[in-house]
Amino acid sequence: MVATSRAATVAGYLAGFALLFLIWHLASVFLVRSVLFPSPWPVFERAFVLIEDRILQEQIVASMRRILQGFLLGSAIGVPIGLAIGSFRPVRLLLEPWTEFFRFIPAVAMITVAVIWFGIGEESKVFLIAYTTIFVVIISTAAGVGAVGRDKIRAAQCLGASRMQIFALVALPATVPYILTGMRVAMANAFVTIVAAELVASNDGLGKMLWDARLFMQVEDIFVALISLGLLGFLTDRIFRLLIRAFAGRFNPTM
Amino acid sequence: MAFVALEGVGKVFRGRTGTWEAVRDFSLTLEEGEFFCLLGTSGCGKTTVLNMLAGFEAPTSGRILLDGKPVTTPGADRGVVFQGHDSLYDWLTALDNIGFGLRLRGTPKAERRATAERFLHMVGLTGQGAKHPSELSGGMKQRIQIARALANDPRILLMDEPFGALDAMTRAVLQGELSRIWAETRKTVLFITHDIEEAVALATRVGVMKRGPGGTLKAVVPVDLPFPRDRTSDGFMRAFREVHALIHEEIHGGH
Ligand SMILES: Nc1ncnc2c1ncn2[C@@H]1O[C@H](COP(=O)(O)OP(=O)(O)O)[C@@H](O)[C@H]1O
Ligand SMILES: [Mg+2]
Repeated sequence: MVATSRAATVAGYLAGFALLFLIWHLASVFLVRSVLFPSPWPVFERAFVLIEDRILQEQIVASMRRILQGFLLGSAIGVPIGLAIGSFRPVRLLLEPWTEFFRFIPAVAMITVAVIWFGIGEESKVFLIAYTTIFVVIISTAAGVGAVGRDKIRAAQCLGASRMQIFALVALPATVPYILTGMRVAMANAFVTIVAAELVASNDGLGKMLWDARLFMQVEDIFVALISLGLLGFLTDRIFRLLIRAFAGRFNPTM
Repeated sequence: MAFVALEGVGKVFRGRTGTWEAVRDFSLTLEEGEFFCLLGTSGCGKTTVLNMLAGFEAPTSGRILLDGKPVTTPGADRGVVFQGHDSLYDWLTALDNIGFGLRLRGTPKAERRATAERFLHMVGLTGQGAKHPSELSGGMKQRIQIARALANDPRILLMDEPFGALDAMTRAVLQGELSRIWAETRKTVLFITHDIEEAVALATRVGVMKRGPGGTLKAVVPVDLPFPRDRTSDGFMRAFREVHALIHEEIHGGH
């Protein structure tokens, strides 16, 4: 039962992607006949060359490493702060203005200061990804703490729980699905941010690849980079969805 | 000295829409081992009384004593079974939910497990301990709640319309089970309901509340009938009629 529905899902995705490439192919043959809009085949051929020369892998690894480092750093900072904001009123009053302020300054707008502060090395990119991650994670974690059912806490109180026990054994596990959901959104934002950051200030990565390809009018390279981004984002999001499904159902059946 | 004493207890809620006197001059003493049903129409202040005894809310006048000591906060001496089943921990198995109170006290794992198994058996769910709340029916969840409260060995069990959300058949079965469990454990119970038959079937005494605002105890009817109760017996009918007459005035009479 589960196996067949999973097979159906995979088949559906494959068919969906095939349809996408078919439409792309038809569009390039009949609609936009231009060297600036290649059909899928030259792009695939170019991708194979880039893979054979290990160039594509290098760019992917460079981008993904930054995303993961910044994402983990941002989550490691964001989760505890979100928990504190959600749990303690004074902390919320103190820090909510910060989160409400910074979340309206997008990471892309921070690229310039990041470069001034950290140069065009790894630090600036990791900083930007961490920055874009932190506020999303804080807000969804704090919301999760606030959404812990009142009766769950009361039940623990009249079973004899201390404040620390209520936090560790009730509030925290009940918040896990919210934390994972926040991290999932943050991960999607990280893909947006990394490209922008690498476009402006980097020596490698998929964003840099896009930028160079534009300079040298290598349209196929642009498409290879775009498809790589789409696939990587899709795969990471899948992983998060699986994690959320594996945990959330157990931690909170309404999610 | 009475086991539980509510002395002239009152509760006035103050909110944006003004003040609401939910409970006025409510006095009642409970003896150890009795099964007291508090019966009243919807909104008369039953939950408010229970919440104050549980320590979730403070009275605005009067005082509440347990063994002569004032009740101020929730505590393990008063187990609560909530009306909804949101109070169960979705991320724990049925068995771990039942053993939660013991875990808070640092009871060794083996002993915790043995006790939880015993109470799982008592509520008729032997062999279902590995299921999570999301895999249990409404009636089973209420059984787990009862087992969780009892496993913690409270001095008194407070139950707020625990079967209110169940279908009539499940409710009747659970009433029978609760009666049997009470006969086995002789735990003091304060049971809230708006169902006359339920009150007469379970209670050693039924307290009828006057409708709000200013809900208070109107009369107490002792039900001296043997357990298990025969709902078709003359004695049952007589008690039912007596309680019915009292509650009938609250629904139709006055104001
Ligand atoms: N937190 C609150 N703020 C204001 N009014 C409340 C609050 N809780 C209960 N009430 C009011 O007090 C009255 C009694 O409520 P409750 O004790 O829940 O009644 P019951 O359990 O008997 O149905 C109701 O009129 C209700 O609207
Ligand atoms: Mg109520």
